[in-house]
Amino acid sequence: MIHVRDLHKSYATRFGRNVVLEGIDFDLAMGERLGILGRNGAGKSTMIRLVSGAEKPTSGMIERSMSVSWPLAFGGAFQPQLTGIDNIRFITSIYDQDFEKNLAFVEDFAELGPYLREPVRTYSSGMRARLAFAISMIIEFDCFLIDEIGAVGDARFHDRCNYELFDVRSDRAMMIISHDAGYVREHCNRWAILHDGRLSQFDDFEVAYSTYKELIGVDMHTQPVAVNYSNRARMVDSSQHAALTDERFRVHVQQGDWARDESDWKRAAAEYSKALALYPYQRSYWTQLGHVEKVLGNFANAEIAYRTAVALGEPMADVEVHAGFVVEQQGDSIDGLPLRAPTARASAWQPPSKPDFDALNWLLRAGAECEPEDMLDQVRQHETLDALAAAMVLDAGNPLAPPPDNHALFERAKCLVGGSPGEASSADQLLPTGAFADWPQTRAAIQARQLENRIN
Amino acid sequence: MASVPAKPEPANGSLIASLQVNRRIIGALLIREMLTRYGRHNIGFLWLFVEPMLFTLGVTVLWTATKSVHGSDLPIVAFALTGYSSVLLWRNMPGRCVGALWANLSLIYHRNIKVLDVYLARLLLEFGGATISFATLALAFTALGILELPEDFLKVAGGWMLLAWFGAALAVFLGALSHQSEVVDKLWHPTSYLLFPLSGAAFLVDALPRVAQEAVLYFPMVHGVELVREGWFGSLARAHYSIAYLTSFNLILTAIALMMVRWTANRVVPE
Repeated sequence: MIHVRDLHKSYATRFGRNVVLEGIDFDLAMGERLGILGRNGAGKSTMIRLVSGAEKPTSGMIERSMSVSWPLAFGGAFQPQLTGIDNIRFITSIYDQDFEKNLAFVEDFAELGPYLREPVRTYSSGMRARLAFAISMIIEFDCFLIDEIGAVGDARFHDRCNYELFDVRSDRAMMIISHDAGYVREHCNRWAILHDGRLSQFDDFEVAYSTYKELIGVDMHTQPVAVNYSNRARMVDSSQHAALTDERFRVHVQQGDWARDESDWKRAAAEYSKALALYPYQRSYWTQLGHVEKVLGNFANAEIAYRTAVALGEPMADVEVHAGFVVEQQGDSIDGLPLRAPTARASAWQPPSKPDFDALNWLLRAGAECEPEDMLDQVRQHETLDALAAAMVLDAGNPLAPPPDNHALFERAKCLVGGSPGEASSADQLLPTGAFADWPQTRAAIQARQLENRIN
Repeated sequence: MASVPAKPEPANGSLIASLQVNRRIIGALLIREMLTRYGRHNIGFLWLFVEPMLFTLGVTVLWTATKSVHGSDLPIVAFALTGYSSVLLWRNMPGRCVGALWANLSLIYHRNIKVLDVYLARLLLEFGGATISFATLALAFTALGILELPEDFLKVAGGWMLLAWFGAALAVFLGALSHQSEVVDKLWHPTSYLLFPLSGAAFLVDALPRVAQEAVLYFPMVHGVELVREGWFGSLARAHYSIAYLTSFNLILTAIALMMVRWTANRVVPE
C-alpha cells in the first residue's frame, strides 16, 4: 500500500511561493491502477516525484509499504557518456541484482544490438526510450510510476511495453500520467483529476472525464496572436503545434476519435468542429472532419473540409482520393476543380479555406448566412483569398453593413487582413486603418466602389 | 522474466545492513564517476593520479629551477612535493564537489542514492588520486636519490588524513551550498587561488616573523602541512602545529557541512 495524507508542496520562486499541491490524500493498493488527468503545469509530475521519494514534500505524509519505481519513461538516470551496458551495470548494482540476467533481458527487449556497447549519447531518441524502458523493467517493483510513456517509440515498441506493463505485471499498483486520455482510460481502473492543487477521485472514467472537461473550460475561446507573417505557412505551422498542446483541443478531438470509433458520426463531426473552432488552422483535423462529413453524406461540407485541409498544407496525396469521391458524388469531376495547395507567400495569395472564408464573410458581408453549396462554389472558384475578398466587396451592398459583434472572428479577421484599429475592437475600424494593404485585387475593388470611408 | 523482486530498502534495518547498502551504492557511483570522467580511451582511469602527478612534478621543477626561497635548509624537491601535494589534496576536493549535484540530479530518482553519496563518491576518487600521486612521486624521487624516506611515517599519514578530512568537510559544505547559489562556484575559484600562498605549501611557518606565524596558524590546513613535514623531515622542519586545533576545526566544519547537506537534500528537485 501507499498512503498519502495531506500532502503539500510549494516552491520558492522569485515572485513568491508557488503552491503546487494543497492537501492531497489517496491510497494505492496492489492491482490498482490510478490514472491522473490534469492540465499542463497542474502538478502531475511533481506528485509522481513526491510519491517516488525523489523529492521531499513541504508537509504531509507519504507511507510506502511496497517498493516504488522511479518515474518510468524518464531516462532512468542515464549517463550519456557511458555505454548502454555501463548504465545497466550501474542500475544493477544500485538495486543489488544479477548483472548477467539483466543484460540478457535488456538485450532481448531493447533490440539495440551492438549499440549496447556504444555511449548512450550516440543513441536516437527511440533507442534511448527502448533502453530506458527495458532498464525500468529489470527491477520488479510493486508499484510503477508512469509519466508520459506513450510519447515515444514506434507501434511495435508500444505493444511490447503495454504487454510487459499491463499483462505481465497486471497484479502491480500503478500511477499513470498521460496526455493521451485514451491511454489512461484503457489502462487504469481508478481515475483522479489534479486541479488547483487538489485531487478528486473517481471510479468511473466518463464521470472523471466530463468533470475534467468542465474544469479546464473546453468551450472557452483562444486568442489568436496578430503576427504579420510574410509566409502564412509559418502561422499554420505554429497553430498545428499550439492546438496539440492545448488540453481543450485535445479533449475535443479525443472525444471525436472515440465517437468515430463507435461509428457515431454525428457526434464525431460535432466534436471535431468544436476542436476546429478553437484552432481553425489545425489542418489535420480538417481532413478528419471531411471523412466524417463524407460518411454522413454531407458532400458539400466534406469537400469544403478537404479543400481547407489542402489549402492549409495537408499533403495532397492524403486527401485527393477522398476529395475526388465527394466531388463526383455531387455530379462534378475533380479534373476541372483542382485542389489548391498553399503558396509560400502572405495571406492574400493563399487558396481559400473555411476559416478564412468565415472571417471575410463576417467582415465584408456582415456574416450573412451562407449555404454550404454557396460557400463551396466560391471556394472552388477563387484561386486566392485576394480574389475571394475582391468578389465579396463587389458583391456587397454600399455602404457596407457593419459586422455583428463577434470577438473571435474580429481577431481572426485582423490577423488575416491586417489593419491596426488600436484599442478599439470594433470591426468598422478595420478598413480605414490599413486593412487589405497587401491585397491588390481587394484594394482595387474597394476603391472602385469608394467604400473606404463609407461604412454604415 | 529475467528479474528479481526489488528488495525494499532497509528502512528501519540494522546499521550494518544500511552500511552495506551505502558501500554498494558508493562503489557503483565510484565506477560510474571514473568511467564518465576518464572513459576507456588512452590511459583511462590512470589519469586519476597522472594528472595531479604532472601538476606536482611541474611545480617541483619550477621551484627547483628558480631556487625558491622557503626559509630553511630543507631540500627543495622534498619541500615542493610535500607542499604541493597537500594543496592538491584539500583544494581539489571542493573543486569536484561544487556543482556536483547539478550534474547528477537524475540520480536522485533512485531513492537509495542520497545526496551525500554523490559527494562521497567524488571525494573518495579525489582522495585516491591525490594519495597515489603523492606516494608514486615520493617513491620515484627516492629511487632517483633526490629524496629521503620519511622519518616518521605515521605522522605523515596522520597529517595527510587530517588534511583530507578538512578538504572533504569543506568540499561537502561548499558542494551543498553551491546547489543553493551559483555564487559559490564563482567565488571558490579566486578564493582557492588566494588561499594557496597562505596554506603553508610554499613556506615553513618557522621561517616567518612572529606576527605572521600567529596569523597564518589560523588557517587549518597550515597545521596539516606542518605535521606532514615534521613527519617527513623530523626536527629539521621545526614544525608549528596543533592537532587539537585542526581536529576541532574539522569537527565543527563537518557538523555544519552535514547540516547543509540535509538542508539541501530536503529541497532538491530532480530534473
